[in-house]
Amino acid sequence: MLVTVECLTKIYGGFKAVDDVSFVVQPGEVAGLVGPNGAGKTTIIHILLGLISTNAGAVRLFGKSLDADREQILQRLNFTSPYMAFPARLTVLENLRVFALIYNVRNPAQKIIELLERFGIEHLKNKPISRLSSGETTRVGLCKAFLNNPELLLLDEPTAYLDLQVARQVRDVLLDLQRSRGTTILYTSHNMHEVQRMCNRVIFLSHGRVIATGTPIEITRKILKEDRASPALDEVFIRIAGRGPDEAISN
Amino acid sequence: MKPYRIRGVILRHAYEVRRNANHITYMVYWPVVNILVWGFFTLYLRHGDRLQPGVISCLLGAVILWGLFNAFQRDMAVGFLEELWSRNLVSLFASPLSVSEYVTGLIIVTLSKAMVGLLVEALIAGLCYHYNILPTLPALIPFILNLALFALTMGIVITGLIFRYTTKFQAMAWSFAGLLMPLSCVFYPLSSLPRFLRPLASILPTTHSFEGMRQVIESRGFSGSHFKWGLELNLIYFIFALFFFRWMFESARARGLLVKME
Repeated sequence: MLVTVECLTKIYGGFKAVDDVSFVVQPGEVAGLVGPNGAGKTTIIHILLGLISTNAGAVRLFGKSLDADREQILQRLNFTSPYMAFPARLTVLENLRVFALIYNVRNPAQKIIELLERFGIEHLKNKPISRLSSGETTRVGLCKAFLNNPELLLLDEPTAYLDLQVARQVRDVLLDLQRSRGTTILYTSHNMHEVQRMCNRVIFLSHGRVIATGTPIEITRKILKEDRASPALDEVFIRIAGRGPDEAISN
Repeated sequence: MKPYRIRGVILRHAYEVRRNANHITYMVYWPVVNILVWGFFTLYLRHGDRLQPGVISCLLGAVILWGLFNAFQRDMAVGFLEELWSRNLVSLFASPLSVSEYVTGLIIVTLSKAMVGLLVEALIAGLCYHYNILPTLPALIPFILNLALFALTMGIVITGLIFRYTTKFQAMAWSFAGLLMPLSCVFYPLSSLPRFLRPLASILPTTHSFEGMRQVIESRGFSGSHFKWGLELNLIYFIFALFFFRWMFESARARGLLVKME
């Protein structure tokens, strides 16, 4: 297993943000971590990155514990989210050079240009981040995420700020890179069509708990309790989002 | 610790210095204003005939060394605040970069910037007020190192507080050195403080550095005891600061503050 999460719990004050969550992600898989707002998706991603400590449970990445082997683990994965930012006065190229050094990238200049071209923002390389749109900054984040050829990629709503056309291009690039390199991706999104298209397997969360795991069609049949021919995760999402915490779990 | 990751932190701050005029203000503008004002004050003092010998040199030496201490402590904390303001913390700490590598990179950048300020002040003091720090510099270096170590300790404590309490504590970055100034005996000897404040002043490494500095500038020789006291106090505070920082960092992780800092 590339990612093993066992009985993970995170409590803030009296609020359980993540409640006894367990799941695994296999090598080469694109797994979707989905659920309504407050389901615990981003908290789980941040725990996997070691940015938030847990109250209970264990996380193993590449078969290792983050507490003991943080440096080796984080060298082999990468992360991006449109909600994080870069130093605004630095140019795109300068920001990526800094991260290329931190990740010890060989031939950084060539690698950076290759990624900028791939995500269609090569023309922005000398622009400060402050002069980019949210969508352009998101693509800079994606370039950063691929700098170290990660074996595991954690993507937190990577297309949230992108228009439909660019979102489609980005999805194609991600799938292309995933297929050519066998990168494992753990993906969060509120766009259920995107999840259906991208993910082999979905981990559905609600109120901090895993309520269903399986392929998009399996999840659809399980939650909607209907024998559907094609996945309908958006219907599942609406059904789950309308439930209270106890109802979501018991159903 | 990996040198290439420390180089990454240095490069990030070097780019920031190049692109952010505020850094030039901190590095050059304030040291220049500071030494000019105090320099003119010493010109005024020279007209008097009841000054003790060496007072003017001590005053200018103190301005230069306090400037270094203040700049070092402030730039450490502001360097970290810049990551927070630019919401870059998640990218940095989700990478293999360790906290110790980050802090080491920040110390190197901060030290370089403080040295620029020191050189500018020393140059102006020499050119405009005929105060040459160079002949006494070798004997002053141990006290300068003690000041730098204490500034670093303060920087680590303030950075820890910012990790835990976020920007609510950011004003400390600029003001904390000022809080220590009255008790650090920057411009006057320890003996001139009220008796009840002396024990408190004696436990500050800064006090021993400035006492030692005055002794050197007044040609009374190098004070091994002030250096030793300063260094011992520094080591105690430094070790405390490291534990304090770790505690604040883990506390911030437990509360999920690393990903929510604004």
